Amino acid sequence: MCAAVFGVGTVGAVAVTLQSPAIAQARQATAAEPFAVAVRRLTESQYRNIVADLFGADITMNARFEPEMREEGLQAIGAAQLSVTTSGFEQYFALANSVSAQVIDAKRREKLVGCQPADPKKVDEACTRAVVTRYGKGLFRRPLTEAEIATRLSIAAKGTAGVGDYYEGLRLALASLLMDPEFLFRVESAEPDPARRGQYRLDAYTKASRLSFLLWNSAPDAELLSVAEKGDIHKDAVLKAQVARMVASPKVRDGASAFFTDMLQFDHFDNLTKDAATYPKYSQKVADSAREQTLRTVLDLTVDQNRDYRDVFTSNETFINRALAAVYKVSYPSKDPWTKYTFPASSERSGILTQVTFLSLFSHPAASSPTKRGVKIHEIFMCEPTPEPPADVDFSKVQALDKGTVRVRLLDHMQNEGCASCHRRSDPPGLALERFDGLGQLRTLENGAPIDVSADFEGVKFTGATGLGKYLRDDKRIPACLVRNVYAYGVGKAPDERDEDYLDDQTKAFAKSGYRFKALLAGIASSAGFFKVEQPKGLGPANPPKAVATARLSQGGPQ
Amino acid sequence: MKRALMNTAPIAAVVMLLAPQAAHAAWTKTYVIEWIEHASYYGAKGGMIDPGTDCSKGTNPEPNWVQMLINAGYTKEEAEWIRNPANPERSAVSGNPKMAFRGKNRASVYKDPETYPDPGILEVDGDKAEGINLDGDATNGFINAITGEPGVDNKFYKALGCWKTFRGPKRMSSGAQTVNDPMREGSWTMVIVVRGEGNDPMNDDKVQVGVYQSGDPMIKTGDGKIVEDFTFTIQPHARNEGVFPARVKNGRITSTAPVDWMMRDPSPGAVRSGLEILKGQIDLTMQPDGSLKGYFGGYRPWAPVYFGWAGFGQVNEVLTWIDLPAAWYAMKRHADYAPTPGGEKTHISFALRVDAVPAFVRTPDAKQEIAEVRSYKAEAPATPPAAAPRPLAAATPAAR
Repeated sequence: MCAAVFGVGTVGAVAVTLQSPAIAQARQATAAEPFAVAVRRLTESQYRNIVADLFGADITMNARFEPEMREEGLQAIGAAQLSVTTSGFEQYFALANSVSAQVIDAKRREKLVGCQPADPKKVDEACTRAVVTRYGKGLFRRPLTEAEIATRLSIAAKGTAGVGDYYEGLRLALASLLMDPEFLFRVESAEPDPARRGQYRLDAYTKASRLSFLLWNSAPDAELLSVAEKGDIHKDAVLKAQVARMVASPKVRDGASAFFTDMLQFDHFDNLTKDAATYPKYSQKVADSAREQTLRTVLDLTVDQNRDYRDVFTSNETFINRALAAVYKVSYPSKDPWTKYTFPASSERSGILTQVTFLSLFSHPAASSPTKRGVKIHEIFMCEPTPEPPADVDFSKVQALDKGTVRVRLLDHMQNEGCASCHRRSDPPGLALERFDGLGQLRTLENGAPIDVSADFEGVKFTGATGLGKYLRDDKRIPACLVRNVYAYGVGKAPDERDEDYLDDQTKAFAKSGYRFKALLAGIASSAGFFKVEQPKGLGPANPPKAVATARLSQGGPQ
Repeated sequence: MKRALMNTAPIAAVVMLLAPQAAHAAWTKTYVIEWIEHASYYGAKGGMIDPGTDCSKGTNPEPNWVQMLINAGYTKEEAEWIRNPANPERSAVSGNPKMAFRGKNRASVYKDPETYPDPGILEVDGDKAEGINLDGDATNGFINAITGEPGVDNKFYKALGCWKTFRGPKRMSSGAQTVNDPMREGSWTMVIVVRGEGNDPMNDDKVQVGVYQSGDPMIKTGDGKIVEDFTFTIQPHARNEGVFPARVKNGRITSTAPVDWMMRDPSPGAVRSGLEILKGQIDLTMQPDGSLKGYFGGYRPWAPVYFGWAGFGQVNEVLTWIDLPAAWYAMKRHADYAPTPGGEKTHISFALRVDAVPAFVRTPDAKQEIAEVRSYKAEAPATPPAAAPRPLAAATPAAR
């Protein structure tokens, strides 16, 4: 019985997900009504944060989420291209059942359900409606339509009737919400802008979600939803007040964490392997610790201390644990699992480029790679992607790992003029990091030869990791790239030439703030450009609105 | 004030130049023990049980268990039934408990080994061994299998070196693996601190070596070795600790005086409350790769060794191919040290082979890197007193 109820809902949910673009397209024929402008799949961390925010941090979520996709340097952009496979939906299905079961279990029921059925063996529509309405609003990031509520009331009634247990029916209704595409996808929609005739704007709930996912990496809280519901979020002063409130919240750390996790490409840890004979100290524990170290370092500098963002390239302040201390060959000075640590000047370590994360992620399994490191410095921090190498490259000279230093091997490799143009650009910053091997351990020799870490990068000469850090700190592309990434991360699309003026303005404001990351977040989140709607192709100017809608997609969702 | 200070600076410099310079700069090297096993020299060219220069007849063979029981007075049918896997008396953990009762008048040989005649065991018949010359007498003992030096005192090896538990190439004997696997998986940790007063760690006449416990587990590398450069804090222990006066010559650290000390017993089947080592000495060599290899030696009580193994019952005998009272008699036969002059030889010379890798070692509060070798016993939490060694008299029929 229960399976039958779910079976219909499940298939319906997938179908709607896959049809969403078509539905959105169809709705564009009537431009006076809200219409979908973007669909983004929730990331794993967003899913987890929303469930934790709504039901409590003690809800266990054991699941394997489908992989995310990086586009234009960010997974946030790739999320707009993702769907759900059949096996992926099986995971959502299992997770929805697991989470809903925990919500109604004996130890949480009283707190989370909030009402009691008149008879625990029979349907209680009032209680079910209250629960579905409350959690549906949190999960969908907007109030549920009456049709959406009715669907869940029906599911709950059938479930209760089938097993003679009210709570089992309620569980099924909650699970139905948790596997609904309106929860699993961020459906952004636009509506005619009453203040600008012929123009469109994001609707109130979409604005609220953009804010909360950028700043908190989670769904809007009750206050933000309330502001959206009243339409006040369209008022500049109210918007700025909400942004200020959210940036001041401890949850901004979650938002910053998700952003830097994306920008710094931590997803490469999922595929990181090291040759055990070459780097015996490498282990999964070291990899996990390295990721944690870099995240802690960046969040400490940019959020907790609110320091100049560019300090991430020069600061020798960090955090370590015992596993990392062994890799860095330093004595671990604490009995706690993690401790704050300042590298001495003699360590040659300053900035996140000298941490195990960057050094090991962008190396080969058994060797360092100045090229990989250089390419990623350009790509991640300067927003300058490097073309893929030609298919017919002869790598034999650079792969002779037992001969001389990699600098010499690369010079040989660059005799191939087809390779030289890119390597001249990518390799210098990478060569400056060559005193760190493929795991990130300090060394002075390679195959018995002294390692030269001098660099001539775009006409500027510097030496070693410290010199590179200072160079990057002063490079104007660094803050501009961060601005570009924050904006692209928030709106879910790569900026184009139409965004250049906006990004220039934001970059100037960022500089004026002293390159404070939280100021950048607030500046972008409260700017009109962050919410602008590009007129879809084939759609004319907006018609005058019949009314300023607060609810959108009123017929949406699985019925 | 500032000016006054500036004026005195040249004077201070002159005073410093004239003052006696510190003759030495102290140094400290710290390690974690990543392998420890009885120093059993394996004289075969290959294999695990082959005849060799240590044991000319190879490893002590598996006894005929049925015949052993018949010799103890059981009928052939009874003996075969005791050994029969279908016998419901058998325990998955300890085998058939009736195997214990093969002493005189069905006494348990695990409790009273001397109720049973010495069944004999193959003993080491070669002249080489690993270990330390404990008594300084080069005229007795084995020839050092590594250095060729005479006088190695290791009667424990003489008595039991052909037993499967201890015999095999380095790190390969079942006893060594039984002990080291849990240690390397994090069950327990020992660290070594070497502190010298001179300015050359390779040659220093004033050295102290501390052997301490740590509560921090070791971590393995991707290829199964122990991670170097890991950090360990000393865990003060009321008993298990050793502080040795020593010297270093060409990187070889040797005791300058014997020390009575205790350590966590790394013997297979050992009682974990601690191993007492009398007149203990060390012989450790700093290796070019930064590691430390060598020996702990001394005299250990031998009776607890037997009762430790006996505690595992018949399973231990079957797995390691020994009629266990043979071990009792062998150790008793070769015991070579009486703590009380002229008294009973309750102790036997032995050595442990030790491999250690570089590690950071910090004070118990983790606030500082260790920079001295001293006793931390006074800082240890109270622990129950060590179980008193079972007096030999209690296990010998003659004394009853």
